[in-house]
Amino acid sequence: MSEFALEGVKILDFAWVGVGPITTKYFADNGADVIRVESLARPDVLRLAPPWKDARPGINSSQFFASYNTSKKGITLDLGKPKARELVKKLVPWADLVVESFTPKAMRNWGLDYPKLRELRPDLIMLSTCMQGQTGPNALYPGFGQLMAALSGFYYISGYNENSPCPPYGAYSDFVAPRFSASVLLAALDYRRRTGIGQYIDMSQYEASLHNLAPALIDYFATGRVLGPRANRSDRYAPHGAYPCADEDGHERWIAIAVAGDAQWGAMLQVLGQTAGDERFGSNASRLKNASALDEFVNSLTRAHNAYELTDKLQAAGVAAYPVQNCVDLHQDENLDAFDFWHWLEHKEMGPSVYEGLEHRMSRTPGALRFAAPVMGQDNEEVFSGMLGLSAEEIETLKKENVIM
Amino acid sequence: MASELLRGFRMLDLADEKGALCGKIFADMGAEVIKVEPPRGCSTRTIPPFLEDLPGSDRSLYTIAYHAGKKSVTANLDSPAGRELVAALAANSDFLVESFECGYLDSIGLGYAALAEKNPRLIHTSVTPFGDTGPARNYKWADIISWAAGGAMYMMGEEGKPPLQMSLPQAGLHSGGEASVASMLAHQARERDGRGQQIVVNMQACIVWSLMNEQAMPILHGDHIQRTGVFTGSKDTRRKMVYRCKDGHMSTLIAGGTLGGASTKALVAWMNEAGFAAQWMNEKDWASWVPGMFMALTERDHFEINDLEDRIQKFFMTMTKKEIYDGTLKRRILLAPVATAADIAGDPQLKAREYFVQVEHDTLGRKMTLPGAFAKLSLTPLSAPTRAPKIGEHNREIYGGLLGLTDTRLRELRAGGAI
Repeated sequence: MSEFALEGVKILDFAWVGVGPITTKYFADNGADVIRVESLARPDVLRLAPPWKDARPGINSSQFFASYNTSKKGITLDLGKPKARELVKKLVPWADLVVESFTPKAMRNWGLDYPKLRELRPDLIMLSTCMQGQTGPNALYPGFGQLMAALSGFYYISGYNENSPCPPYGAYSDFVAPRFSASVLLAALDYRRRTGIGQYIDMSQYEASLHNLAPALIDYFATGRVLGPRANRSDRYAPHGAYPCADEDGHERWIAIAVAGDAQWGAMLQVLGQTAGDERFGSNASRLKNASALDEFVNSLTRAHNAYELTDKLQAAGVAAYPVQNCVDLHQDENLDAFDFWHWLEHKEMGPSVYEGLEHRMSRTPGALRFAAPVMGQDNEEVFSGMLGLSAEEIETLKKENVIM
Repeated sequence: MASELLRGFRMLDLADEKGALCGKIFADMGAEVIKVEPPRGCSTRTIPPFLEDLPGSDRSLYTIAYHAGKKSVTANLDSPAGRELVAALAANSDFLVESFECGYLDSIGLGYAALAEKNPRLIHTSVTPFGDTGPARNYKWADIISWAAGGAMYMMGEEGKPPLQMSLPQAGLHSGGEASVASMLAHQARERDGRGQQIVVNMQACIVWSLMNEQAMPILHGDHIQRTGVFTGSKDTRRKMVYRCKDGHMSTLIAGGTLGGASTKALVAWMNEAGFAAQWMNEKDWASWVPGMFMALTERDHFEINDLEDRIQKFFMTMTKKEIYDGTLKRRILLAPVATAADIAGDPQLKAREYFVQVEHDTLGRKMTLPGAFAKLSLTPLSAPTRAPKIGEHNREIYGGLLGLTDTRLRELRAGGAI
């Protein structure tokens, strides 16, 4: 049996909502022992957000929370109470890594900032990730991923034109930043392996996300040009965009197509039973120049076709194409299936449901969604009694005092 | 100036736009990243737009951004001598990242199995649009294909109009970032037992992961998200995300409860000062206002949401992006400007943290301003960016210094078209 890549790594995880939990999920799914510290006094907002199992809300039945917290353990402590903070401090020597994603003052106010925690474990590595970083005039900015996607420029480059912004769905930057935070946290772990020295990492989700817009920012600084919304227009491919196909069961269907060069254009026309008559579409340069007319022409050709069948034909002819899939289609997609992407887990309260699996596959030490996310306080017993040696009586008192909650 | 964080590790970067960000992150973390290009340059050097719209192998803004901090050697994979060079480099590397069509490297003797025989420590990361097993594994690809296949495109845009991609394609950046994480995960295993492995990154899966769990809606709620322009959420949690203001747009999400109660209260108080709030809004207990939480809106909920959204829109039309953002920062309201590159370039927060960095580009005869460190480390700061390399700029350093080839041999390789 193969080991997991992060066998033996231990994380004390104070992170909540998106970026922090997604970062530690990479660790948890690869065998690290991750203990999430939560509290009923201030539950993770994802626990209060849909989708819910069977559309029934409950603090232990949000699939949103469950998806980002697989393979983790959970304990409940109200960090507002001094006794809870003392218990947390007893867990710090156990941890290789501490991760948190509150606004900057929270951990400091609790006396749980890096200088304090490092006294308890000198080689500790700690990652703080908040919206705009631990320093600077806007350090306390209280946003979340939807707003960050606007602030870091993604909304502005999304839409049909200046007057109709159409943002990407959801908290887009929450799915950009974790690839940076997980990379750097793993590298810091390796640095400690080589030198024995831990360190503190301040990751601004804003600063990480801006790397996905780097060419546009560099262009602005160099020339003053501002990249704006431009529908699906490309400088490289023509046609390029989503084109309508025949409805299926009363639902709209679209196909994404990107054509690079004359040979592919010729191949596409042949698939669609056309001959190139229009001189406006005679070369890549003229197709790019006449892109609006080209889109209309292509619209008229694709409309009668089934999106999946047309994809097969275009791809067989060497043209990049794929149906524009919705969330129902994703569950029937044979490529995701072939990658064993979808994953079923049995959750203590939600029972079985389907999860997004891993985005990569390792040949020798593959990760796995090892077990479902914890219900509130699921591992209190194991941690407080098993790891910290508290008696049943002590635990009961702490519960009565709402320290453990 | 290179970071100590991954000092001493070497990555061979054979990736195009599906994986270029991986090597960039590794270079930022202090690894030596050697980009291996065909003698006429990597395809990413032809990605428009170009600096001042003048084509040139060092002028693609994509190249300037995502090859910064890397070295470049050339190797012609169509020639046996070129392939030998890459094999020799792989024997001396810790990581290799590539994004060729599935099976191509195997077909020229540079697949994982062949490379691992000489270097069992090697971590070989393959970035693929659809994985290496499915029927689409060798499909023709462009970034929009992954955006569509992974479900992001369907939800972006307005009802009845074409689904949208962003003006700056994103799928290859997700897969490049994922390749970085995966390579680092495998590194942890290798440093324990000395053995490398092969990783396959699936770009379609990377996009599905970016959907904020909406994939679960059809199964759990029997509902799936449609394109709703400036709105977000499913039909009963639907909220307006974007509002017009004097000089552009703002984004806010009105919410109550734990998430947004305090923020909405503060926004209403601000609107009230300016005469835009309705009486019911001043009296509302926003901390317990959670319409949509239980998935069915009452008539009253609809009225409240619509009235609030209408009045916010009118209020915002009296101010600029900066005025609104400054006001909300003071009042701790959940809000952000729909920022343009110009707004971001002038943001005082980024200035205070010295985020953007000027980098001398002798290749362009000027300085360029690049995004800086994606994280601040207390002990081993990330590398300060250096300019992207010219095609084959480090042939002599790498082939001579690392592989010990003589200048005479390099001349022969050049004459033979191998480099």
